Amino acid sequence: MKIRLHGRGGQGVKTAARIIGRAFFLSGYNVQDFAMYGAERRGAPVTSFVRASRGEILERGYIFSPDLVVLFDDTLNFDVVKKGLKGEFLVNTSQKIPGAKTVDATKIAMEIFGAPIVNTGMCGAVAKVLEIDLSLMERAIEIELKSLGIRDVGKNLEAARECWKRVS
Amino acid sequence: MKDLIDGNEAAAWGARLCRVRVVPNFPITPQTEIIEKLAEWREKGLWKGEFLPMDSEHSVLSAAIASEAAGARTFTASSSQGLLLMTEMHYVASGMRLPLVMVNCSRGLAAPITLWPDNNDFLSLRDSGWLMFFAQNNQEVLDLVISAYRISEHREVLLPSIVNMEGFILSYTREIAEIPGQEEVDSFLPEYAPRVVLDPERPMSLGIPSLHEYMYFRSQVHAAQRNALKVSERVFAEFEKTFGRKYRCVEDYRTEDAELVFVCAGALSTTIKAAVNALREEGVKAGMARIVTFRPFPENRLREILEGKEKIVVVDNSLSPGRGGIIHSEVSSIADCAGVVVSLGGKHIGRDDFVKIGKKADKKGRYWYF
Repeated sequence: MKIRLHGRGGQGVKTAARIIGRAFFLSGYNVQDFAMYGAERRGAPVTSFVRASRGEILERGYIFSPDLVVLFDDTLNFDVVKKGLKGEFLVNTSQKIPGAKTVDATKIAMEIFGAPIVNTGMCGAVAKVLEIDLSLMERAIEIELKSLGIRDVGKNLEAARECWKRVS
Repeated sequence: MKDLIDGNEAAAWGARLCRVRVVPNFPITPQTEIIEKLAEWREKGLWKGEFLPMDSEHSVLSAAIASEAAGARTFTASSSQGLLLMTEMHYVASGMRLPLVMVNCSRGLAAPITLWPDNNDFLSLRDSGWLMFFAQNNQEVLDLVISAYRISEHREVLLPSIVNMEGFILSYTREIAEIPGQEEVDSFLPEYAPRVVLDPERPMSLGIPSLHEYMYFRSQVHAAQRNALKVSERVFAEFEKTFGRKYRCVEDYRTEDAELVFVCAGALSTTIKAAVNALREEGVKAGMARIVTFRPFPENRLREILEGKEKIVVVDNSLSPGRGGIIHSEVSSIADCAGVVVSLGGKHIGRDDFVKIGKKADKKGRYWYF
């Protein structure tokens, strides 16, 4: 399973990869997760990656033919982010996009946090699309956010559950 | 305990479990998180040692030399330009026979500036007298730090060690690693008990000027390096007994009946393994020999593996301009081999690229760049 996540600096694209990686780890998979670094900054396009496998993971680096692309920001160029995609396309958007699974994670985040914190919500949506047990994803969110020093993760879990429900 | 950790955290775990007492440090991407992790653990009381922020990498290694000479197990880490700024002191550490251990997160050297890895920084220490280990994944970063202290502190060795991981490719990539228990590590690595210690009560000098004795001392460094080869194999065998993970100075992967052998080191090795498997599926008898201890150079073991092989391709993630890949130069001294230079500054290279390289390897000694 190869997943590529696209979004903008500040949206938690890297943390989302860690959460999804952790969820696979908790499910007993071998995992590799990492983010593309250069001179990333708020608002700039950023990319992160997850590889998960029942066997040993030998390949490294950029994922060119993902089984799932997750897009956090629908103002990014679809042709660029979908390059090489062999499977599902999951987008945070208020629009309907032909051939894509969508969820309005920004709207849900505004309802829950009063701020556009979309990454944990998108992890809930990923759980739905990949049929990962939602409770494992919640546990992964808890572990990863706590490792960043965030103590109260309740709203993040709520966002994940809400997005899980509303993916279509 | 199994956990999902990046290479930097693996290095920090290595230092913590070895109960290092002093960590002089200076930040540089992509290594800083090693030091930050130790600082965090110190705040929480999980690691009890001296944390010494210094004013430059040169000072870092100077302080590390001093604390190791005073009898404290010492650790530090650096990368790229930072490692080069230390280099004057690298020779002092090996000449003074101080078994400190450091980790390098390799990163290409400016100019132009890159944050991404190649191994020119690490390999610049080739002639420094340090023992040099290449990790291929995060587990090995942790395991090699622990092994390095055992090997370095062995009385027939007494040389400093440096463990390399590719920046980003390992330092910022999380993988599953087994973090050994403290008691296990304690049973494998006894407390550091140097026979000669700097002590204000009994003043003495270390690293003093010499005249004709100089050559004798440097030749002793060479002799200790040669000893380290045998000591490493013994320590790795004991490591396997204690922790259940097997290391050798050279890892051979499907080489026995191979006609084509890739020689490589570091994190590229796992991608090359995937290419070896793919080539085998196409009927090409491929294999891989991975150098784990670059210094001391595992000449005999490599010669054994490469003996009679039709095609040998050395894959380098480094470049000595005007000559070629740095490891290629080394392997050339024991076998006819082709060489490729790949992934400078972290330029992506995947399994299929190595499959292509393997297929192009039609003659011995041919040299091309990728």
